[in-house]
Amino acid sequence: VRAAHPRVILTPEHVEIRLEPAGLGSRFIALIVDLILVTALTGMVSQVTRGVLPGAVGIVAQALALLVLTWGYHVYFEVRHQGQSPGKRIVGIRVVDGRGLPLSLEQSFVRNVVRVLDALPVGYALGAIVCQLDPHRRRLGDIAADTLVVRERHGQAYERRSTGARAFNSLRTPRVLRLVRHRVGLEEREFLATLCLRADGMEDKARFDLMEEVGRHYKERLGIEDPHMSGENLVRGLAGVLFAEQAAGRAGR
Amino acid sequence: VSETSPDTHSAAAARTRRPSAVGGMDVGRFVRERGRRWARFEALLRDVERLPDHEMGATRLLELVRLYRQTCSDLNEARSGTANAELLGRLNGLAGRGYRIVYRRSLGRRLLDEARRFVAVGAPAAFRRERASVLAAAAAFLLGAALGFGAVVASPDNGARLVPPQFHTESPKDRVERIERSEERVDSLDEASAFSAFLFTHNIRVSFLAFSLGALTLVGGAWILFYNGVIFGAVTAAYVLDGVSLFFFAWVGPHGALELPAIVFGGAAGLCLGRALLLPGSQSVGASLRRALPSVWRMLVATALVLIVAGFVEGSLSQMSAKTVPYPLKIAVAALLFAGLIFWLFGRRLGPEEEEA
Repeated sequence: VRAAHPRVILTPEHVEIRLEPAGLGSRFIALIVDLILVTALTGMVSQVTRGVLPGAVGIVAQALALLVLTWGYHVYFEVRHQGQSPGKRIVGIRVVDGRGLPLSLEQSFVRNVVRVLDALPVGYALGAIVCQLDPHRRRLGDIAADTLVVRERHGQAYERRSTGARAFNSLRTPRVLRLVRHRVGLEEREFLATLCLRADGMEDKARFDLMEEVGRHYKERLGIEDPHMSGENLVRGLAGVLFAEQAAGRAGR
Repeated sequence: VSETSPDTHSAAAARTRRPSAVGGMDVGRFVRERGRRWARFEALLRDVERLPDHEMGATRLLELVRLYRQTCSDLNEARSGTANAELLGRLNGLAGRGYRIVYRRSLGRRLLDEARRFVAVGAPAAFRRERASVLAAAAAFLLGAALGFGAVVASPDNGARLVPPQFHTESPKDRVERIERSEERVDSLDEASAFSAFLFTHNIRVSFLAFSLGALTLVGGAWILFYNGVIFGAVTAAYVLDGVSLFFFAWVGPHGALELPAIVFGGAAGLCLGRALLLPGSQSVGASLRRALPSVWRMLVATALVLIVAGFVEGSLSQMSAKTVPYPLKIAVAALLFAGLIFWLFGRRLGPEEEEA
């Protein structure tokens, strides 16, 4: 299994946009929802065509309607509803063209035709394996049509879940500020911010151990001699300094 | 620094006004100042993704484009000033959704117009543009057919080795006699339509599977064409050797005249896409795929349409023995169908519209 990598596109405004691939789990849930819908629609269509139209005409109409439903359901939603079938909408994922644009009719058609191959031998096993091996999490149909299934972020209340908004921060000394400015790179800042954001979801013991380890590292790096400061306090304090949330927080309230 | 235009100030301006702790940006302030703009952008995105353009109206669309550009610049600014994953993630998501709307192609014409154009121009133009793939696919099938035929003529025992066992339960001659003696196999309209429906549903699925295999492996698609040719050649040889060739061509001809080309067409679409995917040459894979896809999907739809017609023929006319329809007439229909198919795709002049399609 290879790690998932976002596909990076450069817009004419010279902005990099990262397309985050959707994971197998959410795609599978979306698939099941769509499957249930298609089955329900199939049942309804069969009832109507066989019930309303006489004999042979009904049989033919039913077969053609089911044909259109089988091959057209995903194509319709992907082209007309911005890459989202009802199932994908529920789990918040979307099919897009490999360059970040809406996918075209021909791309949608081809990726859904290749679905028959992805579904082999049973329950999309082949598609799932290919998906896990591909860095952009594409199944065979996505590879053949150059499409991606991306995860959509919804607006989060990250203002409240700030990285380290606290009224007092003993790290806010000129010496520490200078050290931090010189020694903590952008990637480390990202790491600290992410650590603070994810800490709430961690198991207590894991959280404590991780915070202590990271805290030890930074105590050494920045020469902070305060034996009573816990790892988590140090990490949150550092994040607070780094993102200057303190000033903003005071000014805002 | 101008305090009157909060929307346009740069990262540098923001920093001058409130020096942040470590030379990065003041995230809280940044969010407070621009947050409402992003929320408005998100609301517009939700609308534009749901509504047709004429319901959105020009004003709101222009506002959307303006907000898109501002969000892009906010994203750039945020990237250079902070590593706050949630802020960057949100802006990245918004810019990505906006990009899809701002740079999309205009949506197509009405469905009926599209369908008419497809039959008149789209499908034939696609087949002509990709005639190399069609010829390659036909060659693979015919080569297989010639080998299968030759092998069975050389030694009839080869038939048993080449053709899957479910196909030879009795000798061709016995089968012909049995069919001609017994009642018509399909004797009601209901039965004929049910059988036809089963046939085209099944054939379309199988040919799409063969297409997919060709598109992703190239060799797999060529092999399926070749192997189908071998079986067809071997079965033909068995009937010809048993002296019942007239029956065979009348039996297989009417639908075979459409079904066999359809197998070749589906396979050709697979080869065409496979070549674009696996042998892109000097282009990027994406560019090479995008060049091939318009033809490929038209070829696939045409294949499906041909298979639907073939299914109806196979479910009805093909099943009738000499008692109902004389064999020469069935063979004449077969020839006519084949000629019609070739004429539709390759026979007519398309004129300047072909370039455009």
